[in-house]
This record gives sequence, structure tokens and C-alpha cells, in this order.
Amino acid sequence: MTTVLPATPARPKRGRALLWQALGLLLILVAWYVATDVLKLYPPYVFPSPKAVWQEISYGLWGSGPQDGKLLLSIGNSLRRVAIGYAVAVALGLGVGLLLATWRGLRDTVGAYLTGIQSVPSIAFVPFAILFFGLNERAVLFVVILEGFIPVALAVSGALLNVPPAWRVAGRTLGSRGLPFTLNVMVPASLPHIVGGLRTAWSFAWRALVGGELLTANPGLGQQLEVGRNTGSVALVLATIIIIGIIGGVFDAVIRVIEARIRRNYGLEVMA
Amino acid sequence: MPAKRTILAALTLTLLSGATAQKATTVRLGFFPNLTHAPALIGIEKGYFKAAFGNTKLETKDFVSGTTLTEAFAAGQIDIGYVGPGPAINAAARGMPVQVIANAANAGAVLIARKDAGIKTFKDLAGKKVAVPSLGNTQDISLRHLLVENGLKTKDAGGNVTITPVAPADVAAAFASKQIDATLVPEPWGALLQKQGHVLVGDEKTIWRGGDYPTAVVIVNAKFAQENPNLVQAFLKAHLQAITLLSKNPPAAQLAVSAQLQKLTNQKVDPRVLQLALKRTKFTADLNLDAFREYGDLNKEAGYARTLPDFSTLVNLAPLKSARGK
Repeated sequence: MTTVLPATPARPKRGRALLWQALGLLLILVAWYVATDVLKLYPPYVFPSPKAVWQEISYGLWGSGPQDGKLLLSIGNSLRRVAIGYAVAVALGLGVGLLLATWRGLRDTVGAYLTGIQSVPSIAFVPFAILFFGLNERAVLFVVILEGFIPVALAVSGALLNVPPAWRVAGRTLGSRGLPFTLNVMVPASLPHIVGGLRTAWSFAWRALVGGELLTANPGLGQQLEVGRNTGSVALVLATIIIIGIIGGVFDAVIRVIEARIRRNYGLEVMA
Repeated sequence: MPAKRTILAALTLTLLSGATAQKATTVRLGFFPNLTHAPALIGIEKGYFKAAFGNTKLETKDFVSGTTLTEAFAAGQIDIGYVGPGPAINAAARGMPVQVIANAANAGAVLIARKDAGIKTFKDLAGKKVAVPSLGNTQDISLRHLLVENGLKTKDAGGNVTITPVAPADVAAAFASKQIDATLVPEPWGALLQKQGHVLVGDEKTIWRGGDYPTAVVIVNAKFAQENPNLVQAFLKAHLQAITLLSKNPPAAQLAVSAQLQKLTNQKVDPRVLQLALKRTKFTADLNLDAFREYGDLNKEAGYARTLPDFSTLVNLAPLKSARGK
């Protein structure tokens, strides 16, 4: 038996996937253009053309009128918020996950509740957060952290509990104890699983942020949606949705790359 | 074959006759349970609309804000509506088939400050957080203008005044927890907050143009108006009747408004609050065209719309004139 190596390097494959993605995007744009500008299936105040939406994006990002540049400002605000919220959520999630993994009693009680809380849509917590914290940024951060830390905690505890017993036994037999055991055996062993949890946490946090901003009065992408709605500008609403999607997708892709690399290093990615 | 032809002929006939008289069998009326919409409240409570429409059915829908009403209008679920001039202009600027056929109320919005916020004049708004019912609505536009007039700037324009959207019903709670310092609200919310001890900083006359500016207008779906001129005419007569009651018999009008508000919101509004609020609102079907147009300019200035609608097609006061003629 010889070592099985991938027949083709991964790079050209990724290139082809990108090409297909680009083609798909082009197809959507063409269909959109045909439906709105050519066939005029809907009035523009219900479903605007790609051009109108692009105009809103360009005004919002580099325009110079009164409300222009608002989109850029909103992106900045939202990113700052999600960065703070996500960082706190990850730190909290790591701590809680570690506690859950080591303490069975906690796992059977709080651990079960966490899954329940996770099934509640983040937007359901916003009214409570507003009443508790007021119409401010803390209310939004509360929802982001609440949504973000649970997947991390569950992933961390799940990962630690799922470390193959053989590895643990091997580590112990080789004389590893205490902190070095955790750092040298447990953490590396559970890393792939934890990174998966971080990625889920990101998408949860991002969604929670937009929902929170929509209902509270903080300038941000969620509030942009509300302004578009208030002023009857579907183009602005769609433009904001697209920006939210792009940011969410880009971050997800970045974490995905890190995740894939870790999984590859661990021999988890089977290449055919 | 002949049978088919007869059916076709009959169909064409009904379609044609429908086009000449009226098409709609139901009129869908939208409004909010606000005092500036008192003519709608009275017209419903007193049965003016019902009587005017005769055999045509009346469906009424109450909305919480111009936003939701405009959405329903865009979706084709509203034929005639009471709405602020801001949403009406925005809707027209986006290409919606909206026509303004009459005015409903002037003024009727006040600036109230939290009692411990230390705001006595407009200039004191510097560095404060001011609430409006929603961004881009009539009060938001008025507030932005008021700030400019007083040499103040909003945060998004590099100044230090924060404008934040808070539903009028939530302002009292937001005041209590010191989330906001002041608010520009339509009546009866202003009178209600004042009764709770908060401070009246700007009354309906000092906000803009001495109170001679529209805060609620009547809009109609342009297609509906074209197809049902008789119904529009009948509606306007009932609208005028309600406005006459408001000016000729305030106590009776107040009772009707109060009764309808209670039915809609399940809450009894204090008669004294209602009286004060009604006194600060001027009900008239006459549209101040200059002020209405200026809303468009202010709206553009605030950056909520890039284009101004064509006011000559947006406003059509011909049906109002003929409704008054008889």
C-alpha cells in the first residue's frame, strides 16, 4: 500500500467553484434585471431594479448628500458592536463550556437550559433587553452576547467530552497532568470542534445584532432597514440586506478557511 | 359558439358600464388612532362615511404609523387614507400611485421636554436626545427644520443633537428611565405627557409657520380615484361634514373622537387631555400648498428622498372643490 495523495491539487478546484459562484450571481442579476426593468413584473416601489439598489449602495458608501455615507457609518457601528459582542460571547462561551465539560451536575441542569434558550429566536429577547437596559447599545450587545456564547459553550463542552478516551489514556500514561494535560492534550484534541462552534456563534451573533438594531434606536445596519421602510424606499432596504449578507458571508468564509485548515491538519478533511 | 359570444358580449358590457360609473364595491379606508386623524375617527363613529357610500361597503383599518399605512398602500390594500404629509410625499417620490385630495389637520404637534432635563427653549436641545415617532416621518422632518432654524445640528450631520425614533406610546416610559430628554409628538400624546408634569417647550404655533402647516392629509389611490369619482366625491363630503362638526360643535366632536379612540385602543383618554389636544389642532380641508411643498424640500434636505415628486399630479383638489360646490 502506498500513501494516498490527492490526484489533483486543491487550488484549481477552488477556482472552478468560484467560477460557478460568479456565474450563479450573474444569472441572478440577469433574472432580476429582466423581471424588473424588462418585464416590469412589479412596480418599482415594491421590487426595485438592480440599478436602483446599486444607486442606494453607492450613495450610502461614497455619496456626498445629506444622508449619504450613512451606510458606511452604519457598517462601522454594526461591526464595532458585533466585534465587542462576539469577543465577549467567545470568552464567556469558553469559560462556560469548560465548566460544563468538567462538572456533570452543571451539564445536566444548565446545559439542558442552554439548548432551550438557543431555540428561542434572538429577536424575542429584544423587548426584554430594551426594558432592562434601555434604548441603548447595551440592549443590543446583550442579545448578541446571549446568542453568541451558547454555541461556543455547547461546542467547547461537547468537544472536550468527545476527546477519544484512548488519547486521554495515552496522555496520562505519558505522565501529563494538570494544566499541561489540558493544554497539550485536551485543547488540541477538541480544536476542530470548537472552531465549528465559533463559526456557528458568528452567524448567530450577526443575526442577533441586526435584529436588535432593527428594534432599538441605534444607528446601524438594522436601523438602516427601518429608515428604508419608514421612507418607503425598498431600494435602501434591499441594499442594506445585500450589505448584511456580504459582511456575514465574508466573515463566515474567513472562519471557514481557518476551520478547513485546522481540520486538514488534523487529517479530518478527506480528500478524494 | 353563439352562446360563447353572448357571454363575451355581456362581459364586455359589464366591464364598460363599470368603467363609466364605479368599479369598487368596497372602499378601504386607512387612518391612525391619533388626534390629527380626528375627521376619520368622527366620520366612522358618526357613520358619515357609511351614509355617504350608500350600497358600497366601507372597510376601515387603523395603523400605528405612516410607515405601515404606506406599506399597505403600496401593496394595494388601501384606497383612501389619512396620513402625514411626509409619508405622502415619500410615497409619491417612490412612484406610488398616490394623490392628495384634501387636508385633514394643521399643527397638532408639540415639543415636550422631560421635567428634569432642564430644557426651556429650543436652543437647550443642544447635546440632548430627542425622540420622534419614526425616522423620516412628519415630526422628524419638522424637528430637523426646527434644529436648523435654531442653529443646531444633528449627530449624523456632525452636530450634537441625537434624534431617535420612539413610539409616542413608549415616550412616558423612556422619560421615566431618562433614556430621552425631549420629544416632538402629535396629539394627544403631547397633552398626555404635559399632564404627567413634563414641560411644553414648543407649542403647535412655535414649531413651524405659526401652526399653519399640514400634519395630516387625505390620500387616495390614483387608479381608484380615476375609476370611482363618485365614491371619492362622497367620501370628501363626509370628510367635510366631520370637519364642520369639529369646528361648529367641539363638545360633540370630542365625544365622538373619545368613543372611537376607546373602541380602537381599549383605553379611555382623559377628557381634559383630549380637550387640550383638540384645541391645539386645527382641522381644515384646505391644504396649505406652500407648506406642503416645503415638506418636500425639507425631506430632501434631510436626505430621506433624493427626488421631489411632481406636485402638480400629486395634489388634486378638483374633487374637493366640486364636493364643496353642492
